[in-house]
Amino acid sequence: MKGIRWKFGGIRAALLAGTLSLGWVLAQDYDPNATLNLATNADPTLNPWTPGAVVESNLINTILFDQLVRYNKKDLSPAPGLATSWKVAEDGLSWTFNLRKGVTWHDGKPFTAEDVAFTFNNVVLNKKLGAQNAGNFSKVKSVEVINPYAVRFVLNAPFSSLPYYLAYYAGILPKHVLGNADNPLQVASFNKKSPIGTGAFRVAEFVPGSYVRLVKYEKYWGGTPKINSIVFKIVPDPNTQMAQAISGELDFVGVSNPALLAGVERNPKLQVLRQSQNLYYFVALNQNDPRFRDVRVRQALLYALDRKAMIDSVVRGYGTIATGPIAPLQKAFYVKDVPQYPYNPEKAKQLLAQAGWTPGPDGVLQKDGKPFEIDMPTGQFGYLVPATLLVQQYWKAIGVKANVNVMEWNAYIQKMFVNRQYEATLAWWSTPPTPDVTPYYASVAADKGNNIPNYKNPELDKLLEEGLKARGIQEQVLVYRRIQRLLAEQLPYLYLWYPDIISVRNERVGGMADINTATAFQYSSEWFIKR
Amino acid sequence: MAAYIVRRLLQGVVVLFLISAVTFLLINLAPGGPTSAVSLGRTAEEREAVLRQYGLDRPVLVRYFDWLGGVLRGDLGNSYNQGLPVASLLAQRMGNTLQLALTTLGLTTILGIVLGTLSALYKNRWPDHLIGSLATVGMSVPAFWLGIVAIIVFAVQLKWLPSSGIFTVGQEFSLADRLRHLAMPAGVLAFTLMPNVIRITRSALLEVLTSDYVRTARAKGLSERVVLLKHTLKNAMVPVIAILGLITTVLFSGSVVVESVFGWAGLGRLAIEAANGRDYPVILGVTLLVGTIVVAVNLLVDVLYAAVDPRISHE
Repeated sequence: MKGIRWKFGGIRAALLAGTLSLGWVLAQDYDPNATLNLATNADPTLNPWTPGAVVESNLINTILFDQLVRYNKKDLSPAPGLATSWKVAEDGLSWTFNLRKGVTWHDGKPFTAEDVAFTFNNVVLNKKLGAQNAGNFSKVKSVEVINPYAVRFVLNAPFSSLPYYLAYYAGILPKHVLGNADNPLQVASFNKKSPIGTGAFRVAEFVPGSYVRLVKYEKYWGGTPKINSIVFKIVPDPNTQMAQAISGELDFVGVSNPALLAGVERNPKLQVLRQSQNLYYFVALNQNDPRFRDVRVRQALLYALDRKAMIDSVVRGYGTIATGPIAPLQKAFYVKDVPQYPYNPEKAKQLLAQAGWTPGPDGVLQKDGKPFEIDMPTGQFGYLVPATLLVQQYWKAIGVKANVNVMEWNAYIQKMFVNRQYEATLAWWSTPPTPDVTPYYASVAADKGNNIPNYKNPELDKLLEEGLKARGIQEQVLVYRRIQRLLAEQLPYLYLWYPDIISVRNERVGGMADINTATAFQYSSEWFIKR
Repeated sequence: MAAYIVRRLLQGVVVLFLISAVTFLLINLAPGGPTSAVSLGRTAEEREAVLRQYGLDRPVLVRYFDWLGGVLRGDLGNSYNQGLPVASLLAQRMGNTLQLALTTLGLTTILGIVLGTLSALYKNRWPDHLIGSLATVGMSVPAFWLGIVAIIVFAVQLKWLPSSGIFTVGQEFSLADRLRHLAMPAGVLAFTLMPNVIRITRSALLEVLTSDYVRTARAKGLSERVVLLKHTLKNAMVPVIAILGLITTVLFSGSVVVESVFGWAGLGRLAIEAANGRDYPVILGVTLLVGTIVVAVNLLVDVLYAAVDPRISHE
């Protein structure tokens, strides 16, 4: 009897599922004349490589300019974009990319291998221009045209992560438009009025300080977009952006501060998206300071921090404890079973005592008569100041005195990043979802590159090198797991947390890839507005 | 009078020269460089390339005289972060700031004088108390907070007004549309600036109302209306004009917060974006333009003094 009922239940479930999927199909019915309203916080520069074209420009440029490679919507692995397939040479020193046929620029001209060669040889690799993100391609020597639909990236050294970087804000520029410019990155008519890309939408109107209006590109290679136009309103104030999302004037906003979500979570018209991304907060301890070259000191200073409590108070719980530079989002590479440093001030004190730091008369630890005092500059940006003050309190509890010096953002970057004048500092790295962390960890990137703590370790250098030489994902996985274990044990950076990326989206919007914002914007032709 | 104006204009030029020199040196001595050069993730090589492109590898004084020469030829240079001529950026923003500033000034002047007069006439009675409380609120509430509250009430809840922008996207120019967009930013600004006018009008009027000549006028049997409009208000206007002059300069330089909250593309927002991004040519351009406006407004205020009160002499 039970079995029979079960069967009937199954049939009912099947019927119900059928009805639901029918409903789903109806819900897919979209309005081809709709306008999607988005926001950006300042006047964008519509050229993906222009120095200074950053947060306010990245997402618009992702829509306007296709890249050779996109992220796969499921796992962020490299997926075809303007390139349909790619292959690395036996020696790892060159990559061949086959290009998509039948792609046209917004002015109707055909897209060819010449455009790819121009973008890299004349713009990205032209040292005089200082193109944004050019450093990501420092291993590329040149790009050769094989035929109109194939190019070869010639490298100085093996670079297994090349396809990942080609998917990271690396739009292709039109040679026929910018080829004759003195500086292809500073053509005002292109950057500020009517850029030409191959993306799903093209610029119809740019009113400085007010908005940029895009309209669908009918001849888009991926099929005519399902939305008629996209308006990027320039709204500098995050509170106003949120108010506009609530009033329905904006369809999608990134939320920089979770405090703004009050009341939004209960709004039936708005969906709160909580996504992870490759971003981690850290404390960098300057290795030029001999005190921090002792691994016990680094481990102790991390044991002293209650990171769970920091996440709860600084980002209202929207984050997870970090174990290294590779985030859980990179499922294939992330390893969880690495040394962890749960909050343990006693253990911190023990480790410091082993390293020769003993309590002085005023409670501050000292060694050779010198107190453990740390110069800790911080910049006025996002959560940096409150997070730094918390670190200061936790360290004080174990007898380490941090002198926090709050600075204006640009001044902070100059002091900490350019001049490396600091002993400890709290910051973050946001990186493409590749396991290759060479630019932030290799000895060659110390003192002037992105290796902020100036960490040098020959063993790590060797592993990073191996990672770059890896052929195929299996080999990569093995190497990068070893790298993660080494980093977790040695702590070149004190890993704090991976913050969630929060955005608010109107329920009328459909077809957006949910994995992360950058990926969603690479597939803008699939977005639609429900009727 | 003409000689006075010429003398003041010459002084103005000297003032502007000093402003430009001091600003140039100060911003170049401030730590941190243009955002496009110091941004995180940039290698030392890329950074140097950008600095060379902007000519920032040359000594400060050389750069200053270079810039000054350009200004004398009518060239304010190019924005580092936007890649556009500074003059065109200023022109784009100036029109918007003028609209907001003049609307606000109109609201502030008319409402401020009317409320201030009522307050004086009903001294220590309920209208005076009501207006006084309103003025206190206006003075003590920060503009950005008031702006957000206004957005929540009028845009989100009531849906009467657009929450930001200068006009509706893609629409032809329409006065009604423009006024709807102006209403909240101008209203919020006026509400926070008006208390100054109310207070000054009230105290100036009270002082004049108790003066001998007003008593004489009343004794002559003139109606209270004539006494107020013809004899009193005009004389009470001198300090009011002074405060309006000050308010005007604030409107051209200091409405940054309100412009940001309401997404109003004006000079104030341009200035703050430029300062954050260390966009030196834009900072200098805005400073020079605002400086010119301040000098001009001050001159105008002084000339107006003389027109309102012939006892004030410029000789």
